[in-house]
Amino acid sequence: MFQLSTPTVLLLLFCFYGLTFLVSLRVGRKDENVDGYMVSNNSIGFGMAAASMTATWIWAASFYAAASSGYKFGLSGALHYGFWGALMILFIYPFGRRFRELAPKAHTLAEIMHARHGRSSQMILAGSNIVGSMISLMVNFTAAGALVAVLSPLSFIHGVLIAGFGILGYTIWSGFRSSVLTDFGQLIAMIFAAVVIIPIIFFQLGGPELFARGMPNISAEQASFYSKTAILEQGAPYFVAVLAYAIGNQTIAQRLFAVREDLMKSTFVTATIGYASIVIGLGMLGFLALLAGVQPVDGDLNNLIPQMASTYLPPFAVGLFFIMVIGSLSSTADSDLSALSALVMTDVYGKNMAKGKPNPKTMLFVGRMTMVVATMLAVVFASLKLDILTMLIFVGALWGAIVFPVIASLYWGRITNAAFTSAAIAGFVMFLVARFELLELQGVVALFFELFASVGGGVVIGLMAFGFFGRKVGFTLGGLAFLVLAPFAFGFLRDYPVLLSSLTAYGISTVVCVLVSLLSNENFDFDCINERVVAFHYNPVPETSDKPAIEQGDSPCPATR
Amino acid sequence: MSSYALTLYVMIWPVIAAGVMITLCVSVYRDMRKARRDGTDLV
Repeated sequence: MFQLSTPTVLLLLFCFYGLTFLVSLRVGRKDENVDGYMVSNNSIGFGMAAASMTATWIWAASFYAAASSGYKFGLSGALHYGFWGALMILFIYPFGRRFRELAPKAHTLAEIMHARHGRSSQMILAGSNIVGSMISLMVNFTAAGALVAVLSPLSFIHGVLIAGFGILGYTIWSGFRSSVLTDFGQLIAMIFAAVVIIPIIFFQLGGPELFARGMPNISAEQASFYSKTAILEQGAPYFVAVLAYAIGNQTIAQRLFAVREDLMKSTFVTATIGYASIVIGLGMLGFLALLAGVQPVDGDLNNLIPQMASTYLPPFAVGLFFIMVIGSLSSTADSDLSALSALVMTDVYGKNMAKGKPNPKTMLFVGRMTMVVATMLAVVFASLKLDILTMLIFVGALWGAIVFPVIASLYWGRITNAAFTSAAIAGFVMFLVARFELLELQGVVALFFELFASVGGGVVIGLMAFGFFGRKVGFTLGGLAFLVLAPFAFGFLRDYPVLLSSLTAYGISTVVCVLVSLLSNENFDFDCINERVVAFHYNPVPETSDKPAIEQGDSPCPATR
Repeated sequence: MSSYALTLYVMIWPVIAAGVMITLCVSVYRDMRKARRDGTDLV
C-alpha cells in the first residue's frame, strides 16, 4: 500500500491542527461566559449549527462501518448504515423542540431530568452520557492512531498523542464555541474530500463497466436491494438504536440547545441530508470494492477504506483522504470534550456539588480540567486498544433503556423519579440477560423476551410516530407495530440476540415505567422545569438568603430532590 | 438494475453532499456579514 512520508504526515497534521487552533482564537475571550462555554448564545445561525451537527455526527467509524456494510451486504449495505444513522438526527428534532420549549436555558438533558425528577434520574442520564462520550473520544483517538499507522511510517501511539493534544489545544479555551466554529471548517474539508475521492475511485475501478463486470460475481442477496440479511443484521438493529443514540448523546443535545429556536427544523433536516450523503457515499466504496473483488488486508474490513484510498488514489488525493478522516474524528472528539465538560460542569458540579449555586469561575475551571483529564484518560485507553465494541454495546443498551422514561417524562406528568429509575435499571438488567444469554433462550424464557421485544418494537415505532404526528397516531402505530411484530417475533427473535436484547431494553423499561407511574398520583407542573433550569452566568442568588429562590416559598414548584 | 442506474445510485451522494456544502457556505457567509454589521458574535 502507498504510504505518505513522515514529513508529509507531520506537515498535514501540523497545518490541520495549527489552522484549527488559529480559527478557535477568533472566538477566544479573556472572561469566558460559562453558559457560552457550554451552549454558546442559544442563537447560533443555520449554517454553523447544521455544519456542526453534521460534523459531530460523522466520526471516523462512520466511514469504516458504512464501507464494511457495503462490502458485506452489497447493494443496500451502505444505505442500511447511513440512512438510519441520518434518521437519528431527524428523529430527535420533534423531541428537541419540546426540550427547548420546556427549558430554553438548559445545558444538558440530564439537567432537565434533574428539574423534572431529581438526582437519581439526572445521574443515570448524565452517567450514561459521560460513559458514551468517553468511549466516543477513545474511539476517535484510536482511529487517529490507526490511520497514522496505516498511511505513514509513524506509529499508532504517535497518531493518538498528536490528535489528543491537537484537539485539546483548540477546544480547551472556548469549549463548545470553539467546537462549533471549527466544525464548520472541518466539515467543508470532509465534504470536499468526499466529493473528490468517490468519483476518482469509481472511475479508477472502471466506471459503469465495473457493474457489468462485478454484479454477476456477487451473491443474490448482495445484489438485491431488499436483502433480508442486510435488513436483519444491519438495518433493523440500527433502526432500533435510532432513538437511543439521539437521546443518549449529549453532543446532539448541546447543539439543539445552541441553535436559534426558529432555525431548528432547517438545521436538523440539512444535517440529516448532509450526514446521509457523505456517509452513504463513502459507504459505496465498500460496495465498489466488493464488485472489484478487493480483499481487505488481513481480512479486517476496517482496512477497506484506507486500502482503497492508498491503492486507487493519486498521492494528493491520499493527502485529502487523510485530512478527511482527521477532520471527521477531530470534529467528533472536540464535541465529546465539550459534552463532557458541560456534563461535569452542570450535572456534577453545578447541580450537586454547588447545590445549584455555582461560582462561574470555579465552574469554568472544572470544565477545562474535565477536558484535560478526559483527554489523558482517552489517550491511555486508546493506547491499550481495549475492546471498544463491547463497551459500545453496553452504552447503547443503557441508552435504549432510558429512551422511553426520558421522552415520556417530558409529556406525561404522572411519571415519578422512582418510575424513571426503576425502568432504566430493569431495562438495562434485562438487556444484559438477553444479550449475553445469562438465561438459556429457550421455552418460556425465550417467549418472555420475545414478548417484551415485540413491545419494544411497538414503543420504537410509537415514539417515532408520536414525535411527528402526535399522541393518537403514536398510540395507533405503536399498537399496530406490536400486533404485526409479535407473531413473527415468537420463535424467531431468539436467534438474533443483538436485536432481541436491544428491543427488550425498550420494552421492559416502558412497561416498568408505565406500571410504577400508574401507582402514583403525581401530576407534575411542567412550567416548573423552566423555573428550575436557568442560566448560570447571570443568575445571582439574592443576598437576603442563602437558599435558591425556588426554596424560599415564592414558587409553586417544590425543590428538587 | 442497469449499469447507468447503478452509476447514478453511486454518484448521486457526492452530488448531494456538494449541494449541502454550497448551502452551508452561503448561509455562513450571510451570517458572518450580519454578525459583523450588528457587532455580534457568530457563535
